[in-house]
Amino acid sequence: MTQFRPGRQVMVAGVGLHPFGRFPGKDLPTLALEAVVPALGDAGVQWRDIQVAYFGHVYYNGMSMGEGALGRLGLTGIPIINVENACSSGSTAFWQAYWGITTGIFDLALAFGAEKVPRGPVTVTAEDSPERYIGADHMMAGYALRMRRYMMETGASETALAQVAVKARQNASLNPYSHRKETNSVEDVLQSRMIADPLTLFQCCPTSEGAAAAVLVAEDALSRYSIDKARAIRIAAAVLTSGGYNGKGSDHSAFSPYRTEPAALEAYEVSGLKPEDVDLVQVHDAATIGELQQLEALHLIPFGEAWRATEDGRTAITGDIPTNTDGGLLAMGHPFGATGIRMIHETVLQLRQEAGPRQVKNARVGLAECSGAGDVTTVHILTR
Amino acid sequence: MPESVDTRRLKLTNEERTEGVLLGFRCLECDTVIFGPGTFCQRCTSAKLEPMEFSQTGILYSYTVVRIPSAGWPGPVPYILAQVELSEGPQVLAELVDCLEDALEIGMPVELTLQLVQGEDSSAAKVVYKWRPANQPSPTAEVDP
Repeated sequence: MTQFRPGRQVMVAGVGLHPFGRFPGKDLPTLALEAVVPALGDAGVQWRDIQVAYFGHVYYNGMSMGEGALGRLGLTGIPIINVENACSSGSTAFWQAYWGITTGIFDLALAFGAEKVPRGPVTVTAEDSPERYIGADHMMAGYALRMRRYMMETGASETALAQVAVKARQNASLNPYSHRKETNSVEDVLQSRMIADPLTLFQCCPTSEGAAAAVLVAEDALSRYSIDKARAIRIAAAVLTSGGYNGKGSDHSAFSPYRTEPAALEAYEVSGLKPEDVDLVQVHDAATIGELQQLEALHLIPFGEAWRATEDGRTAITGDIPTNTDGGLLAMGHPFGATGIRMIHETVLQLRQEAGPRQVKNARVGLAECSGAGDVTTVHILTR
Repeated sequence: MPESVDTRRLKLTNEERTEGVLLGFRCLECDTVIFGPGTFCQRCTSAKLEPMEFSQTGILYSYTVVRIPSAGWPGPVPYILAQVELSEGPQVLAELVDCLEDALEIGMPVELTLQLVQGEDSSAAKVVYKWRPANQPSPTAEVDP
């Protein structure tokens, strides 16, 4: 776990987003810059003012893609770091930008992520790995194993799981940047193509293309860069953890979000906030079961009860635990390197009361949780 | 002769390559049992690991029927992917064979079985560990010598 305690207060000064979906005519740097430039504009800062940049992405599109993208804005010579941390690559880039500022090294940092995820089931291991013969490397099959076990242990119904996907589409229909824009019904979700039972297609996130960016600044440097203090959002906690002993001694993760709980407990401790203080949450809903287990691991809902909370509408925008308000991975889409920063983007909009038709009333505290292979888990808490 | 799919996880024990054992380690300092390769203990980081061979049976912890497989999967579609808990503790993911979908039940006992798997394209054939329902006669010889 993190050994250091925060030093300087860090703020999110600006955010930017490229829509999520499929963009065959655009290369990765183009996608990335169409998020970066709006983020700089949102913060009201110039590219030449940025002192360090972290770029989250996973799939190979050539070497040093962060440099390749930002070079088009001008070669300023700042350190640019490419970050690969699976589905948490973007949130890891954001975490690094935070720590670069809070420790006093930098005043103004850029975190951005972009991805063009290939179609088809997502795998973790290399193509020549033994896993291809064994048949165990299949991300959604892993979620399906968790889902069947969860349903047995908690009594969750298939319709409750499907409701997670329906809610995601409802939120995404209010979001012009989302990959999936059509709403659907519980029946549509359950009758969609079976991927790895009991997980149907519409209970799995799409593989997407897209980009997201955030500009971070030290609170004590806000006026130096003429940044509007009223629109800056405070980072109350930034926690990253990777795989620990999973209690089973297995050669795969325990297929539970077992790193979320320790990361969340540290984030609550650092921020001085409690689960009941959280007004809205973005969690890693790569599959419907993911949202339920993450909400429970974050201590926002007691273990085994998130499916019922979903049925009762508590996780809707109008509920008491608004979850994945922009559509989440399930409907907003999942371009790996962008996803973690997309969550920050949505949280910032909500806390600024700029989320339009999907605005959560009186949102003051937002939590973003992102998980990836290697059991990389980030938890960020933002406050207004 | 075909090789084990992963010699750190499966040791073949007869000349015909039809029998084998799953491999792992026990930590001599904290007693944690680990399936598969390890140089240091996952839990306490000790290097004092003792190689161990696991028993041939386990319990079905969870399962899924994979209908859209990952690229490179050389087996049948759909296939059953089983998450099996060994009596020694670790869980091992592998295909479950010789079982109808309707007969699947969490908690059912399963046993190790080996199959010769021809890789996609010109990839080499490997002996791969699988699970099958325990105490059930084998329908066919699994591996041609």
